[in-house]
Amino acid sequence: MGGGEVTAQVDPDPVEARLRAIQSITDATLSALDDRELLSALLDRVREILEADTAAVLLLDVSSGQLIATAAAGLEEEIRQGVRIPVGHGFAGRIAASHQPVILDHVDHTTVLNPILWTKGIKSMVGVPMVAAGRVIGVMHVGSLTPRQFTADDVELLQMAADRAAVAVQSMTAQSDRLAAAALQRSLVPTALPAVAGAELAGRYIPGDGAVGGDWYDVFTLPSGELCVVMGDVAGSGLPAAVIMGRMRSALRAYALETSDPAEVLGRLDHKMQHFEPDAMATVLYAVIDPALDKMHLCLAGHFPPVIARPGQRAKLARVAPGLLIGVFAEARRPVTTVPIPPGALVCFYTDGLIERPGEPIDAGLGRLCRAVTAGPADAAAAAVMRELAGSDPARDDIALLMVRRRPEQHVNGVAAKEDDGDG
Amino acid sequence: MTAEARFPVEVVGGVPVVVTPEEIDITNADELRAALSEAAAHGQGRFVVDMTRTQFCDTAGLHALVAAHKRTRTGGGQVTLVMPGAGVLRIFEITGLDQVIPHVATLQEALAPPPDAPQFL
Repeated sequence: MGGGEVTAQVDPDPVEARLRAIQSITDATLSALDDRELLSALLDRVREILEADTAAVLLLDVSSGQLIATAAAGLEEEIRQGVRIPVGHGFAGRIAASHQPVILDHVDHTTVLNPILWTKGIKSMVGVPMVAAGRVIGVMHVGSLTPRQFTADDVELLQMAADRAAVAVQSMTAQSDRLAAAALQRSLVPTALPAVAGAELAGRYIPGDGAVGGDWYDVFTLPSGELCVVMGDVAGSGLPAAVIMGRMRSALRAYALETSDPAEVLGRLDHKMQHFEPDAMATVLYAVIDPALDKMHLCLAGHFPPVIARPGQRAKLARVAPGLLIGVFAEARRPVTTVPIPPGALVCFYTDGLIERPGEPIDAGLGRLCRAVTAGPADAAAAAVMRELAGSDPARDDIALLMVRRRPEQHVNGVAAKEDDGDG
Repeated sequence: MTAEARFPVEVVGGVPVVVTPEEIDITNADELRAALSEAAAHGQGRFVVDMTRTQFCDTAGLHALVAAHKRTRTGGGQVTLVMPGAGVLRIFEITGLDQVIPHVATLQEALAPPPDAPQFL
């Protein structure tokens, strides 16, 4: 590789040769490559400086406890055949389990698990652990087709390359998880809310400071004409939380088609979650609004009740009986509360990221929210709430907000019908 | 703000007590989890979480407490939370967890539970 440099020369000075080798691994120009390219460029250089025939990286898959061949030079079939080595077994598995380098001067089925290595004719090998934040994330190894004795210096050089590779892999994984979580989150939070005659909808979703958290909302109509609203908050963050969120969202939609009883929908969701995702926990609010938009049937699973603003009145926390979180107790029963929605009223659904403020009891945040919500047009109301509560500080946690407003009575013959503001 | 948000584990009269800070959220829930495991390991199944100072606890924090509660129950032990009337108790009422995890108003009660303590799920 690298084109037609002059003939390979024997370096007379071993110290200089070693410095050159180190330079080759730590070369700053490598940093300009993306992480995947860096990994294969590093393997090429490792093979070159150690005068080896093969070089490979296996990465640990935590869920299966196996090392998976991920990058290779001179050993590409490892990747194509999807080689997997259990931690603790064989050459690479021993390195991962012991966190220690291993030198092999005798390669056959008794020392190496992967038949590709011995059928290829590799005679000697050396491998080192790839460590990030104190944990083994993989193994880097090189092999030689002619018998040779790898030295402590070789191990040291290989370890330097492995350390650099570990950093690259770490950032590669973090970045792809982050992108996947963000993409999943975007696909889960509806960008276009359904058009419902007589109602106005407006939503906001702001991801938290670090990783994407587990908040979502959903709005859909049923064949009966009922309008359904879901707000949820999965414990955790990043890709795992986003995946759980996606499963909960689609399961809830499926149950919503089967029954219009919100407690039944959440009960089935809870049952499903406790069976298939026993470690997950989430708060969920599920509201079924009558086709006439005059009332909603609400069921809470550990979620905050909505705020309701009736025209001409101060907004209040809706009086809704609480219900247990999803994922705690198998036979949880949750009450359903019916809340009237007079014409012109606005219902504000949210997640706790909106009301949390350091050092403050939750009632202070709820009070602030009630003062910020007014029975006006939904989008303006959402903007006002975000201005008052989210302000300009970066959110530590996700914020999800959804406004549903029942439009004021229609104009009849050009005369506005009286606004009815007191049916609660 | 979260710099001092530690979770010290003290042993009072032989019972491990985890003291929680003002805020428990996604930024420190892992530390809470670690402190709960430590307390569970030292308390032979019985330990106390003193949440007197805590004003806010998000789902990540609740998740850690529920997991600790489930684990100790399976092992025949008990976690008791200390939550005075104001503060974080409100969040436990909203989430329904006040019906699930045993809780009392003062540390004193938690350390000397009456023989017929209220039954929780």
